[in-house]
This record gives sequence, structure tokens and C-alpha cells, in this order.
Amino acid sequence: MPRAPARGGARLLLPAVVVTGAVAGTATVSVLMTAFGLLPLVGAPTPGAAAFVALGGDLLLGLRESLVIATLSTLLAAAVGMATALLLVRSAGVRRRLGALTATVLSVPHLVGAATVGLLLSGGGLLPRWLGVAPTAWPELVGGGWPVAVVLELAWKESAFVALVVTASLSRRLTDLQEVAAVLGADARQRLLRVTVPLAAPALLASAGIAFLYAFGSYEVAWLLGRAYPEPLPVLAQRLFSSIDLAARPQAAAAALVGITVALAVAALAVPLLRRWGVGR
Amino acid sequence: MSALGGRVAVVLLALWFALPLVPLGLWSVADRWPAGAALPTQWGWSGWQQAVAEGGLPALGRSAALGLAVAALATPLGALAGRALAWGRSRWHGVSAALLLLPVALPPFALAMGLDVLLLRLGIPGLVAVVGLLVAYAVPYTTYVLRSAYAVTDPQLEDQARMLGATGTQALRTVTLPVLAPALLAAAALAFLVGWSDYVVTVVIGGGRLVTAPVLVAAGASGLGNEPVVAVLSTLMVVPLVAAVLTAPLVARSLEASRTRR
Amino acid sequence: MSHRMPRRVAALSAALALALAGCAAPQAGGAPDDLPADWTEVQEAAQGQTVSLWMWGGDDQGNAYVDDVLAPAAAEQGVTLRRVPVADTREALTRVLAEVQAGTDDGAVDLVWVNGDTFATGRQADAWLCGWTPLLPHLELTDPDDPLLTEDFGTAVDGCESPWHKAQFAFVYDSARVTDPPTTLAGILDWAQANPGRFTYPAPPDFTGSVFVRHVLYDVSEGHEQVPAAFDQEAYDTLAPRVWDRLGRLAPSLWREGRTYPRDVTALDTLFADGEVDMTMTYGPATLTDLVADGTYPQTTRVLPLEEGTIGNASFLAIPTTSGSQAAAMVVADLALSPEQQAAKADPSVWGQFTVLDLERLEDEDRALLEALSASPVVPSYEELSEGAAPELSSAWVPALDEGWRRAVLADP
Repeated sequence: MPRAPARGGARLLLPAVVVTGAVAGTATVSVLMTAFGLLPLVGAPTPGAAAFVALGGDLLLGLRESLVIATLSTLLAAAVGMATALLLVRSAGVRRRLGALTATVLSVPHLVGAATVGLLLSGGGLLPRWLGVAPTAWPELVGGGWPVAVVLELAWKESAFVALVVTASLSRRLTDLQEVAAVLGADARQRLLRVTVPLAAPALLASAGIAFLYAFGSYEVAWLLGRAYPEPLPVLAQRLFSSIDLAARPQAAAAALVGITVALAVAALAVPLLRRWGVGR
Repeated sequence: MSALGGRVAVVLLALWFALPLVPLGLWSVADRWPAGAALPTQWGWSGWQQAVAEGGLPALGRSAALGLAVAALATPLGALAGRALAWGRSRWHGVSAALLLLPVALPPFALAMGLDVLLLRLGIPGLVAVVGLLVAYAVPYTTYVLRSAYAVTDPQLEDQARMLGATGTQALRTVTLPVLAPALLAAAALAFLVGWSDYVVTVVIGGGRLVTAPVLVAAGASGLGNEPVVAVLSTLMVVPLVAAVLTAPLVARSLEASRTRR
Repeated sequence: MSHRMPRRVAALSAALALALAGCAAPQAGGAPDDLPADWTEVQEAAQGQTVSLWMWGGDDQGNAYVDDVLAPAAAEQGVTLRRVPVADTREALTRVLAEVQAGTDDGAVDLVWVNGDTFATGRQADAWLCGWTPLLPHLELTDPDDPLLTEDFGTAVDGCESPWHKAQFAFVYDSARVTDPPTTLAGILDWAQANPGRFTYPAPPDFTGSVFVRHVLYDVSEGHEQVPAAFDQEAYDTLAPRVWDRLGRLAPSLWREGRTYPRDVTALDTLFADGEVDMTMTYGPATLTDLVADGTYPQTTRVLPLEEGTIGNASFLAIPTTSGSQAAAMVVADLALSPEQQAAKADPSVWGQFTVLDLERLEDEDRALLEALSASPVVPSYEELSEGAAPELSSAWVPALDEGWRRAVLADP
């Protein structure tokens, strides 16, 4: 019997891999060449690591800021998203009410999300107005010493994403398996730990990984809600990229390159983990 | 979990998701909302009039077209790749999975930085380039949603259908696709959102010929006193999608009903 | 089959990398290689062309002026004008630079609202078409010796951009909260120290924050005459530390003790509107009338004139070398200089931007148009605002001061 359509030959991977590989690969190569002075906007190429040296400490500070933002927002998004997904698959009533809300949040562009979180949390924002707190007495959530508003916005949007992905992967089989487990005498806690969590884990891990990478590379949220210094890598890179000094472009590429490298390293750690969980279903 | 605990959790989560949307709703009908006032002091539709005057409606149309184009291309690509990753075994899976994650690891501005000159040099029309790049951004999402869905779907279902005499395509159409329908819909929705809400790629690669809703929002948000028009455009970006989400279960139910009748 | 795939991908990447490597050589541009001989020729070539005007879209009055006043007038001359809204003019420049590097000759940008740093960066990369402004009939209505129109932040204009309007930097305060307003820049800094937490400025390289730092430079140098307009490392090394010292002493009295700064002028304006600080600053006082009228700013908002004068500049319309509709772009630039358009644009109820025309060169009726404009209750006239106006420094000073500020003041609180 012919095995077509193939279960999962590399043939099926080809179209997706060619599109992403061509786009992302080319851009990476171009950023790499710019960072090392091989693609100047004006004048002759000057190969070398001058851009990295010129950035110095800002690069490390930016990396730290990016990692803090991405880690905290991902943890929060994964926790809230998973909790939402568990409630969503539990009852149709919840699905109707909460499902519409999560989908709404998902459809808000991050740019708009950042603007509205600013309108909510800044000193003159809605929350202090409603709570009757003077702008100067309100905690520095927007643009303060800790990127609180940035983390909250990213976690807010990405928790909806995590919830959607986990729900999609759970919806079909969970009820059946739960019933079987219940018939076999498992209590609620056992059903959650032995059935639901393992079933949700691959989707949770995959969506959390994507959320981390998104937060790590996100520009507009940190730009609108973050402080002026130190800046996370994307903001640093974007500022240098649009600098009036054309010589700053290699520095912009250097910052972007550090970001890409770390993101790839995270992805490289996550993918085998994902495969182990996914395969061991 | 007790029923009460569950209800409290639902309320808390509803608050978490809904609260940040409140300023948008209020600002979209605020003609005047001075500092310190808990609510707008003057309600009205000036934001809506201004949004229409600035071409908000055609811009929303362009955003929708962009989202649909991205979804139409990225969903099948993601389905193929998701199937391969979940059901197949190949030594290239690790590499492919990494390549498929690459766009997520690549911030849009880095992509724009890397590709703006090259795309112009290759003479690729702006619109094609924008769709192509956004498809590359959407594929990781569609792939992972569908990979997860394939992973919890039994591949033997298709085998059994074929043993009963179905062709491969028939087995796919009548057995696997119906099982995957919710995931396909979710993947298409995510891909749609990539096009619907993109700003950086549209501006840098699209070359200003494509004025979408986010372009108007960003331009408005970069100035002071534009809260009403920004809020209106944002609301308009959210409302159609919520409507779609609310009607989707009804559509699904009627589809299911027609299928069982058959 | 499967084992060939990665190799194919690798080959593709290599091919693209090679194509990239070919981009290293920048194109020569900026030369007026084939400018039309006279204005009639320009008008004929312009017929039926479409002009994409890229401009900052955060000012609804400006957007409405272009859509409702300028575009219909352009249509009468056979030119379609499309406004492309951007969040930052630098986005337009980024696009043009990419087109220049790619050697495009029918680019997406035909006209850009620019000045200062964006203009200078474009010149550095030969991105602007030059020598075309003498063709414009209405250019004769401007003063050829007006320093604001011959030099743009120390970069010679050289016919590479056509004047559009003038702007004057201004400090803005709420007269209900600041009852005894200072009258000099030094006075503002002293006021800020006496009223902790009620003043701040946007972090450079924000355009407005950057101008504020230059005002402080003029102040600590005892007048703008003491600062060489062209960048001079020696002068920088002498003067800049004084600026950092003054701003460093100011910092603990600023909003949030100077631990952080508003990221841009819009963030500062929001703080002012919300009552978190008592002063803001702007390079476009024209927008104040509207912001007070719609309730964003309090009714008691006033402009704070400085005895020593503030920095003034002009903004321009530039045509990229990569534009495919250069003739039509020139028609629009000329139209924008016409007395009717300048008068409409100067009306505070339309946009309120100050004219670049020299009133003495106008016909009587045109002059009457401009003189008849009603004054704004919030914004003084251009004559008042620009009294004792200080010139902009060359744009080479700007990145040096911006970067210096980030290191000395921002990173080292």
C-alpha cells in the first residue's frame, strides 16, 4: 500500500522551511555582515569588531534588561495562560465568556496594547484616577526603575496566546481521558497532574518558548513603557539604526546580532526539550 | 478545584484580560477628558469622525486583506510542517524545527534592517515582499499550533481509513481534517493576526504604499491629544475579530449539524 | 529526497549572501544630472504624476491641512498628492537610504517633510536631489539671505530642499501653577531646583530634548556667540563638561529625582497634561492653540519667553534622488510656497505654522492675507517668539552632545 500522503517526510517540511529559512537566513547574514563593517551605508567596507567595542557596557546592560523583561513576562504569561486554558476546557459556560475575552486580547496589536496599558498604569492614568491617588504618589510602573508596565503588557498579551495554544491542543482528547481516569478512580488532583498537565505540557512549553522569544525581541512595548536607560537590546538597536550618524548602523546591527544569537541559543535549548516532551506523549 | 474557587479564578482572569481594554473603550467616546477626571467630562463621537476623515476604513480593509493573504499562505505551510514534525521521523527534524523558529528569534526591525536594501535590489514588489515576510513570521505560529494538534491526533486513524479503501486524499479530507478543524482555525487566526497587526514590516518594506490601520495608529500615537482617534482605530481593529470569535461556535455547530445529517 | 533539502537551503542562503555582498558599493547620487531646463518643462512633466509626501502623522491639524487644502490645490495642477503618515521622519529617511543603496529610480518616497538631522544624514548619503529649488517661481518670495533658509542646522541648503515653514523653540508653562515664571534659561533651571519634581526634559536623542541641551550649552557658555557653529572638538571638550556639570546638579531636583527621563517630547507633554510637571517645551508652538482648545492642556497654558531668545529653525520639503515623480514633487513644493497656501497654513485654526515668505516681497493683497490672520490666545506672534532668536548649531554637534549626555548624565546619575 502506498504511504501517500506521507505521515511526515521531510518533503512536507520543505515549503515552510524554505520560506522561513530564506527570509530569516538572509536577514541574519545581512545583519552579521553589517555588524562586522562589511556592508556600510556609505563608503568602503571596514571589516572588524569596532562596533561591538564602541557599544561596550551598553550591550551587556541591554542584554540583561532584555533577559529580565523576557523571563518575567514569560513566567507570568505561562502561569496565567495555563490557568485560563484549564478553566476554558472545563466548562462551555466559561469558554463562552472568557474565550471571547482572550481572543479579544490576542487581537490587540502590541502597539495598541502598550498604548492602552500606559493609559491605565501611568501616573495620570486610569487606575490612579479611579483609586484617587495623586500622580506623584503612584508607584513608578511606567518608565520606572523596574520594567513593571513592560512586563505586564507582554504577559497580558502573551497569556492570551498561551491560553489559545494550550486550549487548542487539549480540547479534543482531554474530556475522554479525564473520564477514563475518573472511572479508574483518579481524584481531581491526580487527574490534573497525571492527565491534564502532561497533555498540555508540549503546547505550554512551545507557546511559552515563543512568548519568550517574542518578548525578547519586542521593540514597541519597551519603547513606549520602559525607561530611557538602560534600554533593552531592540530599543538600543532601533535607536542606533535610526541615528543621524550613519556610522552608528554597524552598532545597531551589533546589538541586533547579540539579540539574535541569544534568542537562537534559547531556541536551541528549547527545541530538543520540546521534542522530548512531544515525542513522549 | 471547588466551584467557588473556580468562579473566583474566572472573575480574576476576566479582570486581568479586560482591565487594560477599559481605557480604549472610554477614550473612543471621549471628546474631552482632562487630567485628574475619573471619567470623560464630555462624551461624543469626534474620535470616530476623525478616524473616518483620516481614511480609517480603507486602512482597516487593507489590514484585513493583508491578514487574509498571510493566513491563506501560512496555514497550509504550517499544516504540512506540523504534520511532518508530529508524525514523521527524520534526522532533519531538529534542524527544521530550529529553522522554523528562526523568524520568532529575529526581531522585525532586525529583519527590516537586514532585508530592506536587498528586496529593493532584487526588484521584488513591495506588496509581495510584505506578504512574504509576514508569512515567514506566521509560519512558526501555524506550525506549532498544528504540530501540537497533530501530536494529540492518532496517525492510525488515517491508516485505518485507507485500509477500509479510502485514498490518501480522502482519508486526509474525511478523517484528519475534521479532527484538526479547531486547530486549523486557531492557526489561521494567529496567521491572520500577524498580518492584521503588523507595523514595522509594513512601513519599512512596504514603502508607504500600504497604509494599514496600525500605520495610522502608530502615527496617531506619536503625537499628543490623539487618544480618541487612536482609541477608535484600536477599537475598530478589535471589534470585528471579537464578532468573529463569538459567531465561530455558531458556525461550527451548524457545520457539524449539516455533517451529521449527511 | 530528504537529505538534499538542507543543502538546497544552504545554496540558497549562499546565493543571497552573495547578492548582499554586491550591495557594499553605495550609489553616487545627489547630482542634478538631468534637471528640467525651466518651469514650463517641469509643469508638463508633472501632469498625471502621483506624489507620495511622507510626513510625521502625529499632528491631526497638519494631516487635515495636507489632505483638505494642499492636495485639492495640487489636483488642480494635474498632480495627485498622497500623504504617507509616519511615526518618525527617520522612517522616511531609512526607506530613502535603502532605495539609494539599491539604486532604485522609481522609489516610494517623492517628497519628505524634513529638517536638521534627517536632512544632514540624507546629504551625507547623497539621498536628496539638489539644485532644483531655483526653478520654483515662488522661491522669489523668500529672502535669499535669510539665514534660517540658507542653512539647515549648519548644513548648507544648496537647493536640496525647499522651505516650508518656520518654527521657534518655546518653553510652555501652566500659569495657574507657576505664578512667578522665570524669564531666562538660567532662571528656569533655578526654578526647577527650587521646585523639586516639577520639571524635566525629554532624553536626547529626542529632537526636543536635544534642543534643550543646546539651550543649556548656550547658557553655560554665556551666549550662543561663544559656541562655534561648526563642530569643534576643542570647544566641545571645554564646554560640554560644564553642561554635564550643570545638568548633573539639576538632576536630583527633576521629576523622579532625575533617575529617569521622559523618552520623548510626547511623554513630557503627557506629564504636563496630567499635571505631573509644570512645564513642557516644544519646537512647534503652533500646536498649542489646538491642545488648549480640546482640553488636553489647561486653559491657563502659556508660552514662556526667554530674555536671551530661543533657538529657531525652518523646516523644508526635500525630494529623494530615487523619486520617480520629481517634476510633480517640485510642483507641490512650489505650490506649498504660494502666498495662498502659506496663509492658509499659518491660520491657527488650520495649522498655525509660521510662514517662510518675506512679507516685503509680496503683493499687497497677499501680504494682507497673512497679516489678517487672527492671533492665538496662547501663542504669541512669530515676531515676538523669535525675538533675539539663537541659531542652530551644525548638525555635527547634535550626535556628540546627545551621546555625551547619555554617558555623562543619563548613565551616571
